[in-house]
Amino acid sequence: MLEIKNLHASVEGEDEQILKGVNLTINKGEIHAIMGPNGSGKSTLAKVVSGHPEYEVTEGEILFEGEDVTELDADERAHLGMFLAFQYPIEVPGITNRTLLRESYNTIARENDREELDPLEFDDYLKERLEVIDMKDEFLERSINTGFSGGEKKKNEVFQMAVLNPKLAFMDETDSGLDIDALKIVSDGINKIAGPENAIVLITHYQRLLNYITPDYVHVMMNGKIVKSAGKELALELEDQGYEQLEKEFSVNGEAQ
Amino acid sequence: MSVAVKEKETILNFLDGDFGTVSNIPTIAGVNEKGAGNISEFPFPKKKDEDWRFTDLRSISRNHFVPVADAGAEPVGDISKHYLPEAKNSRLVFVNGEFNTELSSTEDIPEEVIVGNMAAYGDNEILQKHLGKYTNYDQDQDVFAALNDANFKDGTFIYVPKETKVEAPIHILNIFTDAQKAFYATPRVLFVGEAYSKATIVEEHIALVENEYLNVTVNEFKLFEGAHVHHARIQRDSKKANHISRPLAHLDKYAEYHSYTICLGAKLFRNDPRVVQNDEEVDFTIDGLVLIDGEQIADTHSAIDHRHWHAKSHQLHKVVVNDNAHSIFNGKIFVREDSQKIDSFQENRNLLLSENGTVNTKPQLEIFSDDVLCSHGATIGHLNEDEVFYLHSRGLTKKKARELLVYAFTLESIETMEVESVHKLLLEEVVKYTSRDEEFVAVGKD
Ligand SMILES: Nc1ncnc2c1ncn2[C@@H]1O[C@H](COP(=O)(O)OP(=O)(O)OP(=O)(O)O)[C@@H](O)[C@H]1O
Ligand SMILES: [Mg+2]
Repeated sequence: MLEIKNLHASVEGEDEQILKGVNLTINKGEIHAIMGPNGSGKSTLAKVVSGHPEYEVTEGEILFEGEDVTELDADERAHLGMFLAFQYPIEVPGITNRTLLRESYNTIARENDREELDPLEFDDYLKERLEVIDMKDEFLERSINTGFSGGEKKKNEVFQMAVLNPKLAFMDETDSGLDIDALKIVSDGINKIAGPENAIVLITHYQRLLNYITPDYVHVMMNGKIVKSAGKELALELEDQGYEQLEKEFSVNGEAQ
Repeated sequence: MSVAVKEKETILNFLDGDFGTVSNIPTIAGVNEKGAGNISEFPFPKKKDEDWRFTDLRSISRNHFVPVADAGAEPVGDISKHYLPEAKNSRLVFVNGEFNTELSSTEDIPEEVIVGNMAAYGDNEILQKHLGKYTNYDQDQDVFAALNDANFKDGTFIYVPKETKVEAPIHILNIFTDAQKAFYATPRVLFVGEAYSKATIVEEHIALVENEYLNVTVNEFKLFEGAHVHHARIQRDSKKANHISRPLAHLDKYAEYHSYTICLGAKLFRNDPRVVQNDEEVDFTIDGLVLIDGEQIADTHSAIDHRHWHAKSHQLHKVVVNDNAHSIFNGKIFVREDSQKIDSFQENRNLLLSENGTVNTKPQLEIFSDDVLCSHGATIGHLNEDEVFYLHSRGLTKKKARELLVYAFTLESIETMEVESVHKLLLEEVVKYTSRDEEFVAVGKD
């Protein structure tokens, strides 16, 4: 579904590379976890994949379902079925969740020659999707993330994903800042959404999320590269040992510096 | 005529007119005479005048305006699409400043209330007592208020007796038609609300085509004890027109006056709202919403005068500027020495959509008392690119994302509209403004 080949990226207009040759293949039906120390480039990878204009791809390519999307605008990637749950979902005062979601849902439907939903149909659909994440419907009337608690913002990202039903979702630290109940609700929601036709990439610092969602693969990112990939046991290993061992290994090899 | 005033530039340099003729109604004639004296005396504003520093008046000074009668103005035709369903029979229509009986309808106005044209109420004691008594623009040698004083022979007269509520909104519809020559018009309003009366006014200025004219309005609103007014002012003048507006409210004890000025049209709009607190415990609003683009100039110079104890004042002035448009805001707030327990809010928020737009903003507080809660602020910003990206990443085009964000910026101002159809009309105007065919000139990264 997603194939990232030798991806290099920098902040637009600057020389310094943040991503330094990322390779990653994700197939339908898979759940991947990406871990790694602060500043290693995880969020940058997610944003570059979603088409954030702040970054420039200097080398390599991103293929989505066989199509090269490296140069596509963010909205076009969304139309294809790509989704990013932001690490720091921003507040957008004045635009309600409902307004955004109806606009998003119908735009994506239109672009894919699917039928748009009228306001009443859409309301019913929203009500049903609210259940995935156990959110109260009063959140629909509130401005996007405005005044939401940290945890509510994260839940709202998952809710948007539940509504838009993307083929591929990057979820950037959606577990951070959640209390234990919220973590269960959010993981539950993600598990409900995950299926054989879509794929999910969880960026996380914590093994505890992976107690609830079982990844097929765990990758470690360091200094702009994926330095190690393995099964879910890797997360446990990292929890035990931290990144130190890996860091040594890779700076010795001269790879990470 | 211009020979006589050669050495000093006055507004008479830019217009024709016989200001020796006064109304045959003594009350109006008195104001006309005073105005005629003033217009030949008061100097036309210059850049070096503090109150006109940023305002480009060339759309007036490079033009020449004639009286409506000499302009070859088109007849008005059918304007029913501009009627408000809520004000079907509580409407006064003025065409190029002149009252139009056929298009006006006041059947829904209770008998004891007056909603009519001044010229029909020449003998009315209330008109005689109040007309021209509250405007204080002369103290600043205001040439435009003087022009209105000198020229108006008619206008809107509204009187709401004690403890009376006018249910239907009163619609003052100023229509401007096409004409062969640029002309000037001087709409005038006198509103008198007796104790504990209540009324809603919708004052509109609409051009049927994009022609040149000079619309100079003076409003006097006198609210007696506990009187309550909601005043929506919608300015959709021609984008080649000049609109100079002098609305003043004079408030007695417990009076509540809430006005909302929406600026969409005019090449040059200069609005100087003033509120005079004439007694304790008043509560008022002079909000504004400005949506301009192209070469438009919208200038608000407001003055709030707190003269007594206990006042609550609110001024939210929101501005969106695109292309080469220019917004100016100068908000004076006076709190006199004897005026305590004042709660005054003022905020000017500007959203710049283009690189070439200009915003000048200056809150100006002059506080001579100590027990005052005065919050004021001004911001100028572009659209937040993170917000644009957030929406964009959810599948909205950048254009749509920006439209939604501008729409969101304006909503707060529009939601204050009490009259449903006005609310709806403004939402449509905002959509029209935000969804022009071209992309917004890119600001920030693309
Ligand atoms: N827009 C930007 N401008 C400048 N530097 C940036 C920008 N975006 C990312 N970086 C830098 O790139 C590096 C990677 O950042 P990124 O946010 O991708 O890390 P991360 O792995 O997500 O970290 P964390 O675990 O703390 O979220 C950091 O050094 C960061 O400062
Ligand atoms: Mg991150």
